[in-house]
Amino acid sequence: MTDSDATSRTGDADQPRRGRRGRRDIVVPMRLYKTITVFSTLIAVVSVVLGFVFLDAATLQVSALRAVISNAFSALGLSISNGLLSTGLAVVGLAVIAFGTFVYILGTRFRAQGMGKSQEDSGEDSNNG
Amino acid sequence: MSLERKDEYDHKAWMKKKDLTPIEATFLTTLIWLDKRFRIVDYLELLETLYYRVNLQMPKSHTEQYNLDNKFWYWYPLYTLGLFSTLAYVVAAISGALLGFYYSPATTGDPTTAYSQIEFIMRDLQFGFMLRSVHRWAAQVMVAAVFLHMLRVYFTGSYKEPRELNWLLGIVLISLTMVFGYTGYLLPWDQLAFWAGQIGVEMARAVPLAGEWVAQLLFGGFTLSQSTLQRMYIIHVFLLPFVVTTLIAIHIGIVWVQGIAEPH
Repeated sequence: MTDSDATSRTGDADQPRRGRRGRRDIVVPMRLYKTITVFSTLIAVVSVVLGFVFLDAATLQVSALRAVISNAFSALGLSISNGLLSTGLAVVGLAVIAFGTFVYILGTRFRAQGMGKSQEDSGEDSNNG
Repeated sequence: MSLERKDEYDHKAWMKKKDLTPIEATFLTTLIWLDKRFRIVDYLELLETLYYRVNLQMPKSHTEQYNLDNKFWYWYPLYTLGLFSTLAYVVAAISGALLGFYYSPATTGDPTTAYSQIEFIMRDLQFGFMLRSVHRWAAQVMVAAVFLHMLRVYFTGSYKEPRELNWLLGIVLISLTMVFGYTGYLLPWDQLAFWAGQIGVEMARAVPLAGEWVAQLLFGGFTLSQSTLQRMYIIHVFLLPFVVTTLIAIHIGIVWVQGIAEPH
């Protein structure tokens, strides 16, 4: 238990505070906690799948997405080299996966009243009522 | 339990009260916006309520009562072997029905028609190699899964009262599974099949008293011939499918009625 923990507890216990390892820890109402868990997980999962679809399109010459994109480019009368298309798709894919990871990690900052901290195994600190 | 909108929680006021970073505020606002439009959480809560209400009706199971989960959890994956056998059976049935379009059980010609048809399936038929492989592997998997299923039932004591009948039915089923395997093994009518058939005839003849009659009935004589192959074929594609499917249905039906056995 560090000093900063003690001072933050004597103040407003409801306010976000820095945990033991310098991570933020925000207590939210139960219903909001459910919203956060469900939607951030959903977004993360969809992002990872979508990211891999893009990575597939970047590396796999038979990808449907790649075919759609290159057809769209040729319909517009633009020519795009295979290398450039692959690079672009790979960057987008990695970015989408990184976005999903970011959303998921952000979601772990929040917890409901009375829950153990999600980022470490310790239970919630007692604040003596 | 309804999807009626509950009194809205005042998220905005609550968020103002908190000392949130702009990223956190945006994150929460976005998720609340999504939550109001796609009411996934409401539906999940509905399922949660349903789950607990249904479970309220159930008496505590033996496992719960004596807290056996702690010691027993590593057995649980093995409780799926029965389903696994059934799935293998279904796959074998479907692939077998498709193979039936191309196979014919005739020993005429050299190489025999049966053997040439297998050759045709493996070499010339589109996806034929895959089809036959799927059928073969499904059969192998089924035999293995049925055997392991039997071991699981034995070592967890699931055969005990009041489930003795289903255990006996299971023994009949494992035997019929092996007959399925054996009759299918003979159908390619290659050297392997022929000499396996020869062994079958000898084994049948070794049975006391009824031996010669059994050999006549199953193999159509004491030497292998067209009637042997024809009988194996009819047993494999006509007789056994009806019998085994019916018995599996009864087997599963009894499990359904009696429930999964608690570990003893």
